[in-house]
Amino acid sequence: MLIDRRHALGRGGCGIGSMALASLLGRELHLAADESANNPFVPRAPHHEPRARAVIEIFCPGGMSHVDTFDYKPELERSHGKPFDPELGKQTFAGTGGAYTKSFWPFRRHGQCGKAISDLFPNLARHVDEIGFIHSMRNKSALHGPAMFMMNTGFVPAGFPCMGSWITYGLGSESDNLPAFVVLPDARGLPPGGVVNWSAGFLPAVHQGTVVETATGKPPIADLFPASQVPGEAEGRTFLKHLNSRHASARPHDSRLTARIASYELAARLQMSAPDAVGLDGESKATKALFALDDEDIGPFGRQCLLARRLVERGVRFVQIFCGAENTTARKIRPNWDSHEDLVRDHGYWGRILDTGAAALLTDLKSRGLLDDTLVVCATEFGRQPFLQGGNKGRDHNPGAFTAWLAGGGIKGGTTYGSSDPFGFKAAENPAYSYDLHATALHLLGIDHEKLTYYHNGIRRRLTDVHGHVISEIVS
Amino acid sequence: MFRFTSALCLSLGLAVFAYGQTVDFDKQIRPLLQQHCHACHSGKTSKNGLRLDNKTHAMAGSTDGPVIVPGMSATSALLKRITSEDPATMMPPKGPRLSRSQVDLIRTWIDEGATWPQTEAERALARDPRLDHWAWQPLVSVPSTGIDSFIDAKLKASNIAPGPRADRHTLIRRLSFDLLGLPPSPEEVAAFEKDPDPNAFARLVDRFLASPRYGERQARQWLDIAHYADTHGFERDQKRENAWRYRDWLIRAFNSDMPYDRFLTDQLAGDFLRPNDPEAVTATGFLAAGPWDFVGQAETPSPVLKRLARADDLDDMITQVMAATCGVTINCARCHDHKLDPISQREYYALAAVFSGVRRGDRPIDVVGDQKRTALRQTLVAEREQLQVALGRLEGRGLNLADIVGGGNGLGSGKAGTGISAATGKPLANKQGYVAGVVANRFVRVGGLIDGVVVPGGGDVQIASSGILAKNIGKTSAGAWDAIRNGPVNDQKSTTITGVNYASSGRSLLGLHANAAITFDLQPMREVLKTKELVFRAAIGYGGRPADGSGKADVRVLLDGQPLVVRMGIGPASEVPPVELPIPMGVRYLTLMATEGADGTIGHDQVYFGDPRVAPAIVPGSSAADASERSRLANRLRDIEGKISKTDESPMVYGVRSSPPDKIHLLRRGNPEEPGAVVGPDAINCLKGAPVYGGQGAIADGERRAALARWIVHPDNPLTRRVIVNRLWHHHFGIGIVDTPSDFGAGGGKPSHPEMLDWLAGELPSQKWSLKSIHRLICISEAYQRASVVENPAAKAIDASNRLLWRQNPRRLDAESVRDAVLATSGQLDLTPFGPGFRDFVYTEAYAPIYRHVDDDSPGLRRRSIYRFVVRTTPQPFLTTLDCANPANLTPARNETTTALQSLALLNNPFMLRQARHFADRVKMESGDDAAFQARRAFIRALGRLPDQQESGPAADLIRSRGLPELCRMLFNTSEFSHVD
Repeated sequence: MLIDRRHALGRGGCGIGSMALASLLGRELHLAADESANNPFVPRAPHHEPRARAVIEIFCPGGMSHVDTFDYKPELERSHGKPFDPELGKQTFAGTGGAYTKSFWPFRRHGQCGKAISDLFPNLARHVDEIGFIHSMRNKSALHGPAMFMMNTGFVPAGFPCMGSWITYGLGSESDNLPAFVVLPDARGLPPGGVVNWSAGFLPAVHQGTVVETATGKPPIADLFPASQVPGEAEGRTFLKHLNSRHASARPHDSRLTARIASYELAARLQMSAPDAVGLDGESKATKALFALDDEDIGPFGRQCLLARRLVERGVRFVQIFCGAENTTARKIRPNWDSHEDLVRDHGYWGRILDTGAAALLTDLKSRGLLDDTLVVCATEFGRQPFLQGGNKGRDHNPGAFTAWLAGGGIKGGTTYGSSDPFGFKAAENPAYSYDLHATALHLLGIDHEKLTYYHNGIRRRLTDVHGHVISEIVS
Repeated sequence: MFRFTSALCLSLGLAVFAYGQTVDFDKQIRPLLQQHCHACHSGKTSKNGLRLDNKTHAMAGSTDGPVIVPGMSATSALLKRITSEDPATMMPPKGPRLSRSQVDLIRTWIDEGATWPQTEAERALARDPRLDHWAWQPLVSVPSTGIDSFIDAKLKASNIAPGPRADRHTLIRRLSFDLLGLPPSPEEVAAFEKDPDPNAFARLVDRFLASPRYGERQARQWLDIAHYADTHGFERDQKRENAWRYRDWLIRAFNSDMPYDRFLTDQLAGDFLRPNDPEAVTATGFLAAGPWDFVGQAETPSPVLKRLARADDLDDMITQVMAATCGVTINCARCHDHKLDPISQREYYALAAVFSGVRRGDRPIDVVGDQKRTALRQTLVAEREQLQVALGRLEGRGLNLADIVGGGNGLGSGKAGTGISAATGKPLANKQGYVAGVVANRFVRVGGLIDGVVVPGGGDVQIASSGILAKNIGKTSAGAWDAIRNGPVNDQKSTTITGVNYASSGRSLLGLHANAAITFDLQPMREVLKTKELVFRAAIGYGGRPADGSGKADVRVLLDGQPLVVRMGIGPASEVPPVELPIPMGVRYLTLMATEGADGTIGHDQVYFGDPRVAPAIVPGSSAADASERSRLANRLRDIEGKISKTDESPMVYGVRSSPPDKIHLLRRGNPEEPGAVVGPDAINCLKGAPVYGGQGAIADGERRAALARWIVHPDNPLTRRVIVNRLWHHHFGIGIVDTPSDFGAGGGKPSHPEMLDWLAGELPSQKWSLKSIHRLICISEAYQRASVVENPAAKAIDASNRLLWRQNPRRLDAESVRDAVLATSGQLDLTPFGPGFRDFVYTEAYAPIYRHVDDDSPGLRRRSIYRFVVRTTPQPFLTTLDCANPANLTPARNETTTALQSLALLNNPFMLRQARHFADRVKMESGDDAAFQARRAFIRALGRLPDQQESGPAADLIRSRGLPELCRMLFNTSEFSHVD
């Protein structure tokens, strides 16, 4: 299933061409066939039987508060209004702490597992029996950009490959017509840290995330079509192929040249398949309603979620959805979850969006039988403090504890791993980092995170650095 | 001395019992160490870096420092640990403890000098086999006739016959892209093909090496290694307006063939070694080229985050320096000793200590010139001040408060755009966002015409140094944005009040974003204006433009704390009447205050005052004599202003700002919150025969760096020269003699031709460290000139990857060369060298600045790619698709991928489509209207050759049916265009 070389050979018909074809989006062709033995780009077999075939990650930039959403803290309710210990504030981003404050939304128990979820998420709450929660997540940075990098790449500095890149590097692509790793940014703009979040770092650039434009009316992929209509596209392409084929056949030792010809053929196929993948005309009314496409606030995110399902359906390996953009100037509502001044205003706004879209995604994947082998991950870069920020009505960054959750392919629903302390200030039981989340995701895809490596500047690098363990407690 | 004595004793096989010693190490101490310590502190299990199984390691101590101090048991950590009762520190941590008599023995042994006779076995234990790695050994000098003798010998040994020489068309294209990064012109190709001189190629090499384009090409490769960009990177990716001067320095250095030893020395310590030489100072842009975290280093109030950001900053710097110059992966020793190479964690921090006085930042490059300019400027400014005062009095215009906020005298000497922090009272030139760490209602004294500033928090707010209060101010969130400015505040959306734009020339604007208040001292103003009765005049505006039309602020003008003008709840739609407020004789303080208003947020509350002035209440009469005097003064003032603006330019570079070095601790597990022993500056010590680092006692930052530079370029350092000649080789063959150009350690590649590598490295000093000489040696070799298209099944069977170089390696052009070649072919390339980079993006000022790349045909954007303004966090999409280097990373060698997205970019990117049209226009102009002629000309321009019989027909057909631009577009997309044989 993972290595579809045979598959490609069988389908494409003409040897090297179609084999190259299969490699172009998700993999790199080797320089010479003789070097394949030690070539890092050749697709690898999974290390063990995979439980998931694809991943959809919903990333909520800005820092989603765990104590107002998924991590119920009765002790915090009891301490509501008490002053906090100012020493604790030393490491926070803005450095001023106000009173302990309970969740702005009441918690209720849901599902067979009886998980307590805040009223911010009435729709997601209906899915708790499909979700495994990690309440002991931590981050090594309290700053948005670096903390995003850690959650996406396992490292605080920029320049390391993100999870999507590692996965396509490890497994290649299932689709001959679409990129293996697709990013769907928020309609408002890029998240903190920008494109670095889906960079391939030092891995070959072929593994970087391809941004698919989610707004209607724009070409889904940059340069997919010429801006002004060029007449007779096919004739020029035939001429080009004529020249390139003769050039390549005179240089049989250089397989890059045949790969290049194939890449033009693939580009032509992408021009067909990409608009089809993002065209929602064929979706039923009920589906469009489920994703609230017509809602002014929720619609754009609903569209991202629906597109993610369509892409996974078409064999895309990793789809990353951003639920929020970069902090730009002060606006009435923050463009992401970074609720320093007014948590009810900002989490209230974003909560409704995430709740509707993510719940719709789970429902839709399940009804199509895709949830069994699609891993859905929901993450943020850090949580928020159990106390208010100074005299504001919001909370400051808290890299000491936050919640991430997983559902679908290989996840045991209704489970919880780790905990934060009674206030939600720091991770308490089984503290975890991005390493453990990533190790678990890779594990479900059939990859041993310690064996997926790439040599760079003196070190065989891993997504999980020298850390990470698979969280078997939430794996079915 | 101690070491010498014991070594001598051993070598003579003498008993080591000195007079008065009572403890026998071999009989009494060694067994104790074996029994109690070796389980954790011997061989590979050297916990905390400590080994007690041989003398060398034992005396070197642990990662925390020495554990045995001969003669001083009381300060020896070993004794402290074995006598400790604290479970966290006691040794051994488990198992039986040492008896009192055993402890006494060890104490006595240390106090008697800790004599430790080494056995042969021990010496072998102490020896690190990793020291034998080839790269750490001195250069081997091999007599040779040149490159080909090495390569041919290896080929012969493998029974491979080297391939033929490439034809001249191939050679000139290869050499031109290699040395210049541009295609040869059709005329150059034709001339070279016809040149009867057998030395024509060597002459071509010399000509290209002398071309100004050579430095532009070489600089690009060095910038990859320096991960240069024109912005900081990280979340708040601000611009570095002066980084380009380093890039220009590099181009000049390569073009003038600066000796490589000086090239490195200047980049590491030019500011210290030749502080009065602008070129040497500019060279330090190298150390500052990498990313810098504004939020972590400057903005966050958290000391923990600051320490981490600084540790990352130093890590980036030393990683870059050691990888670029020596091919050492020092970064691997940040958290623990290097796993592959004999480099300790301590050595990592010793290198951190070398650079711990380096801060990245803008700095002047021309100290001497600046001094002259400053002196001249002072004279001119004094003269201007006199003129302004005289003129101001005649005109009765009074003092401009915005000018005063900009550091001026109220008469025009202030700087536009600068301001004062409402929170600290300090001058602030750069734009800021939300102000962190505000203390509300804390009046800060400024002095001079400004009494002070305060961020009003509500209630009774002190607004003057005399203690005067502004009473009953509504409660605020105590938030503050940017600064009080002479001009609009950061991100201010509007500067126009009732049709007058106060940001335009001849007008003035005082930006006062809520919450902020500023109090002016009227006493000195009266002295300047020579009058007691004053009046305050200003327009009041709201500069925010929130999307939903909301936003409210309160504005007050107070005299000695009395709110005489109060405008509550002004917003974007408000029309606020201008202020004309008489100031009675006895009033001392004028206060302008903006607060957030009833909506409880400072968002968008960009309050501002248009043409704010304190003027004499009665304007003196205007006689004819006054009028002529006024015009005379005004003319002189203009003249002086012109002179001052010329003295304004102090050229800067984003480079090294030297400061007293931070104290560097060894950090356990690399964690800045777990500092261990203090480490002084040093280099690494695994290089056999290399010099000792000469800056161990150096206190000053520059001295430490200069000592490292000397160590790096010292003739006995075997790495530096090997690394650079290998880099040059890499760029001429697509792969280095060592295929990991920045890693010569055990994890890197082995040299394919070690003797040749050393021979080339040895040539460098004999050629006066001239890199051009090494290029010449490589290019005129037979190996370089071989054809890449060769069918040789026998050779392929033995050496398919061509490591032995029986043929040349075909190569694909890098991203920048593709773009430059397209422009050169279309005739649009602008070869203007040097200066600030061209900006192919739209910039939006914001907390996290936004860069949106655009396609644009303006002439400035057609320059060579080396002159592009590189945004670190927002890569240029077209070039990135073509595998351009990511400036977040050190890039010793470009990755090369083949993707459908590349095909789409080359086919459809607006840049490519436009250049195809320009190319078509050029071809048409050169060849007329006949399709066959056009096809021939287009082939010659794009590929440097004529179409053959199977190409010319289809090419002409394509022109006839789809137009010449379509042929040009497809030629840009041919493999032949973007690959070099």
